Amino acid sequence: MAQQANIGELFSMLDSSVLLVQEDITAVFKDNLNSDRGPVLVNMLVDYYLENHSQQALQILSTLQEPHDKHLLDKINEYMGKAATRLHTLSLLGHVIRRQPSWKHKLSQAPLLLSLLKCLKTDTDVVVLTTGVLVLITMLPMIPQSGKMYLHDFFGIFGRLSSWCLKNPGHVAEIYLVHLHASVYALFHRLYGMYPCNFVSFLRSHYSMKENLETFEEVVKPMMEHVRIHPELVTGSKDHELDPRRWKRLETHDVVIECAKISLDPKEASYEDSYYSVSQSVSICLQPRQIDPNASPYIDTHSSYGTSTSTPYSTPRLTLSQMQGQLPQILSPQSTRLSTEPQQVTIWSPSAICGMTTPPTSPGIVSSESSQTSSQPYSKYFSTPGGKGTPLGTPATSPPPPCISDDFVHVSLPSAAATPPKKEDKPDPGRPSLSRQQNVINSEKALEVPGSKSSVNLSDLPEFLGCLASDEDSVEKDREEDAISKEISEITTADAEPVVPRGGFDSPFYRTSESLPASQRKPHSVASSVQGHSLSSEPLASSLDKSGPEGARDTPKQAFTPIDRPCVASDESPAGNRVGQSSMETSILTPSPCKVPAKRRMGFGSGQPPSYEHLFEVALPKTAYLFVSKKTEELLKKVKGNQDEDCTSSTSPMEVLDRLIQQGADAHTKELNKLPLPSKSADWTHFGGSPPSDEIHTLRNQLLLLHNQLLYERFKRQQHALRNRRLLRKVIKATALEEHNAAMKDQLKLQEKDIHSLKLSLQKEQARYHQFQEEHDNIVAQLHSQIRQLQHDREEFYNQSQELQTKLKDCRNMIADLRLELKKANNKVCHTELLLSQVSQKLSNSESVQQQMEFLNRQLLVLGEVNELYLEQLQHKHADTTKEVEMMQAAFRKELEKAKFCVQQQSQRLDASQKRIVELESQLSKKDHLLLEQKKYLEDVKIQARDQLQAVESRYKAQKRITQAFELEILDLYGRWEKDSLLKKLDDEKTEAAEAAEERLDCSNEGFADSVAGYSEEAIGRNGETKPPSTRGSSSSKGSSSELSTPEKSQNQRMGQFSSHWEASMLLEPSTSVPLTVGSLPSSKSFLGMKVRELFRNKSESQCDEEGMTINSLSDTLKSELCKDPSMVEAKAPSSPDNPSPSPMNQESSVGQLHIMDYNETHHDHS
Amino acid sequence: MAEDSQRNFRSVYYEKVGFRGVEEKKSLEILLKDDRLDIEKLCTFSQRFPLPSMYRILVWKVLLGIIPPHHESHALVMKYRTEQYRDVYHALQVIRFIKDSTPQVEVFLRMHQLESGRLPRNLAFPLEPEDEVFLAIAKAMEEVVEDNIDCYWLVSSFVNQLNNKYKDSLPQLPKVLEQYLNVEDNRLLAHLKACSAVSKLPYNLWFKKCFAGCLPESSLQRIWDKVISGSCKILVFVALEILLTFKMKIMALTNAEKITQFLENIPQDNTDAIVSKAIDLWHKHCGTPVHLV
Repeated sequence: MAQQANIGELFSMLDSSVLLVQEDITAVFKDNLNSDRGPVLVNMLVDYYLENHSQQALQILSTLQEPHDKHLLDKINEYMGKAATRLHTLSLLGHVIRRQPSWKHKLSQAPLLLSLLKCLKTDTDVVVLTTGVLVLITMLPMIPQSGKMYLHDFFGIFGRLSSWCLKNPGHVAEIYLVHLHASVYALFHRLYGMYPCNFVSFLRSHYSMKENLETFEEVVKPMMEHVRIHPELVTGSKDHELDPRRWKRLETHDVVIECAKISLDPKEASYEDSYYSVSQSVSICLQPRQIDPNASPYIDTHSSYGTSTSTPYSTPRLTLSQMQGQLPQILSPQSTRLSTEPQQVTIWSPSAICGMTTPPTSPGIVSSESSQTSSQPYSKYFSTPGGKGTPLGTPATSPPPPCISDDFVHVSLPSAAATPPKKEDKPDPGRPSLSRQQNVINSEKALEVPGSKSSVNLSDLPEFLGCLASDEDSVEKDREEDAISKEISEITTADAEPVVPRGGFDSPFYRTSESLPASQRKPHSVASSVQGHSLSSEPLASSLDKSGPEGARDTPKQAFTPIDRPCVASDESPAGNRVGQSSMETSILTPSPCKVPAKRRMGFGSGQPPSYEHLFEVALPKTAYLFVSKKTEELLKKVKGNQDEDCTSSTSPMEVLDRLIQQGADAHTKELNKLPLPSKSADWTHFGGSPPSDEIHTLRNQLLLLHNQLLYERFKRQQHALRNRRLLRKVIKATALEEHNAAMKDQLKLQEKDIHSLKLSLQKEQARYHQFQEEHDNIVAQLHSQIRQLQHDREEFYNQSQELQTKLKDCRNMIADLRLELKKANNKVCHTELLLSQVSQKLSNSESVQQQMEFLNRQLLVLGEVNELYLEQLQHKHADTTKEVEMMQAAFRKELEKAKFCVQQQSQRLDASQKRIVELESQLSKKDHLLLEQKKYLEDVKIQARDQLQAVESRYKAQKRITQAFELEILDLYGRWEKDSLLKKLDDEKTEAAEAAEERLDCSNEGFADSVAGYSEEAIGRNGETKPPSTRGSSSSKGSSSELSTPEKSQNQRMGQFSSHWEASMLLEPSTSVPLTVGSLPSSKSFLGMKVRELFRNKSESQCDEEGMTINSLSDTLKSELCKDPSMVEAKAPSSPDNPSPSPMNQESSVGQLHIMDYNETHHDHS
Repeated sequence: MAEDSQRNFRSVYYEKVGFRGVEEKKSLEILLKDDRLDIEKLCTFSQRFPLPSMYRILVWKVLLGIIPPHHESHALVMKYRTEQYRDVYHALQVIRFIKDSTPQVEVFLRMHQLESGRLPRNLAFPLEPEDEVFLAIAKAMEEVVEDNIDCYWLVSSFVNQLNNKYKDSLPQLPKVLEQYLNVEDNRLLAHLKACSAVSKLPYNLWFKKCFAGCLPESSLQRIWDKVISGSCKILVFVALEILLTFKMKIMALTNAEKITQFLENIPQDNTDAIVSKAIDLWHKHCGTPVHLV
């Protein structure tokens, strides 16, 4: 609660007059909002705003941040539902939206939009409707994509409102309808710009109905005349234009500009692209002027001069003109117009408007510059600003300049020509600074209403040109001026038709001040007005009679003295002047009802030039200036606050303007209330208007509407500014590129030049080259001829030398031949010498040989004789030896034959024996083979036998075990039995039995018993029973011992005895049969027997002669014995009574013996 | 080798599909056709392949020396064996060690005792451990062999072989087992060691009784094929394979007694696989015997 109270206090302090407190409170609120997320504060702020219309609250609300938007929208929505607060709520909404908050995209989802649409569809209050439509139009570019779902709602609203404009079902004041119409037109533009296809189809369907046809004809058709065909109508489709992609890359200002592009209105349309070459060119001409006016309010008026003289520095000239042609008396009537002109400037310039409420603005300075006299009357006006504060005055007054300038051209041009604008600056060194300063301040102000100024210029232009054209004859002009004006006139005349109605439609300021319907109805009058402006004013005015009360109200405004009757009267003349001079503008652009009074006033005020007019205009800024400097407290509190702000210049000029308008409105209402009723009623009722109270209300509403319109236009301007900044950057870039291009071109040119010069030098060089070549050719030809000659010479010489050489060769050959011959001759000489020596030697030899030959011949003779002697001796000796030799030969032959025969025999024998050997060998091998087979077989058989034997043996062993077991059993049984008997019988009986047994044992063969007993004992021992080792000794000892032993022992012994006895008896049978053979040798047939016998013989040392025979016999018997052997051995085994156990061993050894013998035998066989 | 090339070319695939011993049967028949059977070859064959059951008894008898390698003497030797059996049987009956109601296994035991001369003085004597081994083996053999005489002889010869031929190697087997277990799965060994169960494994059942009573007869006879043919190492691998197969369960058990108890009563459902794996393992570690057929 404390919080609440606190907040209440804060609210009360919010609109405090102390600036610092205000700022503090605002800061506190903002802090609160930042920290608190609840809706309370926002709601309270909204409430507070709706109650008090506090600017501070509005300020805070319009800068609300993200989390509070929902609360704000909800709250606004809530109040929207109530009819009472709807209007203010809408204006609040408008304020908020125009700020373009960061959460603007949420608007499309908010219920607020729906309720706004609903309100627009159902509400009947024009003010609310207009405001709402403007809000909607402002909102549309922000939510282009999401707004599409309400498209038909928008269209529906358009349809409703357009028909409303025509039919006026609420029968509201016409002036409201003007506003409504304007907003409908804006809506039309917006919808057509954004959704052309859908909108056109809507229009098609909606206005095809008969009942709507009239509306179409009257309202929609004119609108359509001012738009060009939207390119989307050709390329796009209904769906395509609703496509989110289309909107995604467009920002709000893009959308706004897009919409502006399709307008044919030069003020509305954008000149970015070349849709309108004409308007573009116009704009090009205008642009410098438009910029200049922004700089100073003066230029608004003098821009027209600027156009005529094509010098932007018109301001100084004006002042100059004013300075030079000081007083109106000196000047012609036209000059009075001139003097009125600056006054008008101050009137319609924004600074002037501001000046009403905020004196310290530039106009004061301006006026002080122009004339510092007679500030008094104006100050009075300022103190009672009355209806001046309304912007309505501006458009009404704006038209004059062209006409005035037109006039001024006649007068001031010579002077202007004499003193160029630039020079004019210099003569007043004190002023420029002031003017600059003023310019600066003004520029701020000017920014607020650029639309109005531009519109003035634009709308002025054609008229001005028209004037220009008409006045061409009478006025001397510079060539330049002439050319430019021609150009412009061409353009404007071409544009003339569209321009006029546009003026009525486009700029809200015109509309607000002048009744549009009138202007619409009078497009035809434009042409006439263009030519004869002053003349045409009357018919126009008469045609505009209807406007009534507004006209009455208008005039005072224009004259700055709406309240004071005398002032009005005094002002009538300038007003009349203005009307008279610029009637064509008013008729064209502002066919307001005020024409009627103006006309009337003109009747008596047209002729006389009010000498103090110019003083007014001068005085007005003067007072303002004073106001600023003194900071007078006479002003109203609000004004003061604003003024403070202005001084500190902490707030933006736009805000100031807002406040100005509002406060002006407040002041206006106050003043109105103060006014004596008759004066009011007299004025209004005179024209048959509505009752005064209504009138006040109407005016208030109108004011409100106007404000709204202004705000809307400002919003548009902001978008344009955004756009401009962007475009400017593009322009800068483009120019940079162009410059770059130019530089490149220059470079290109330079290079081309270079190339050209290079080509030239090349040609020169080529020529020189040709020359050189020719010379060179000549020299070459000469040299060639020389060469040829020389060659010829050389050939001749060559031939000569060759001839000489051949000769030389011949000579050499000859010399060589001669030398050869010489050598040959030498050789011959040597040879002959040699031959000679040889021959001499031979000769000596032959001589010696001859001597020897002689000697030998003698010897031969001697030997012949000796031979003859021996031959004689031989013939004497002859004997017979041949017989003996023959005999010997025969003997030898016979011996040879014998030997041969012998050899033959021997060889035959050899063959035979060899054959025999082969046979024998084969036999041998066969036998070997056989033997091997036999051996194998034998082995096999042996193994078989051994296996079988093993089986048998095991069987035998088993049998032995069995018998042992049996024996054991029997002994056991005996033992038991004996035990039993022992128990029964007496001791003596025992001894008897023992003796009897002993005797029996003695009788039996001792040896046998012994052995058997041993055996049995051994068996028992094997069974694991211990026995005394002594038992084997003798039976007598046994017997003695048995007597001494304990019954148990004796039993044991007896058992052994009995067993031995039993065993003996059992073994007796074989032993009985055996003894026959034991003593004797085994039968001679048996192998063993023979062996034994052999052994015996060996033992008896009776050497046997028949050893070989025994071997033979062995071999003979072997085969037959072998089969019987095992059985025989087996049979004989028991025959060895001493040791039965080794019998198998024996057997095996015998087998082994057999084995060995076998081998022996085979070996023997082999050998 | 010539014979080998003549063998059915499908033999390779038989083995892959799992029909072992299709071709082996033929080669065994060829082996058995020889007069004077080649004991060495039969040994190798038996080690390498599982014996066809129809020839198993014959081969065993030959390998154990119950019948000689000569076909001629078979009848005679068998006659002797039969007579011996009857004699011993009769003797035991006479000394009233057995009655008609005596179970066959005990009869075998008494006969064996008698033959080896270890027959106790009376029936009241407690059985010695080796007798229990005999009984277990006899019981298993009784399932395999139908004829009592054959059975007796086989049991008796088998036990004799264990006692004589493997006298030295059987006590070494636990160590060998440990060694191979370390190679195959040392984690298991570590676990067993941690439980101190290594020394308490049922070595008696495994190595002395040759798994008689531990595995069903169908699996047992495949092991015994190898044992009879001269390899007692197979026992180690069977034991190893049992350990590996029941590794998870053994790992779960931490008590040595429990492990032993479990191993003594292993589930009988998958023993064929165990044996097959064991044989593979044996071949892997000891190499496949040379194919002599």
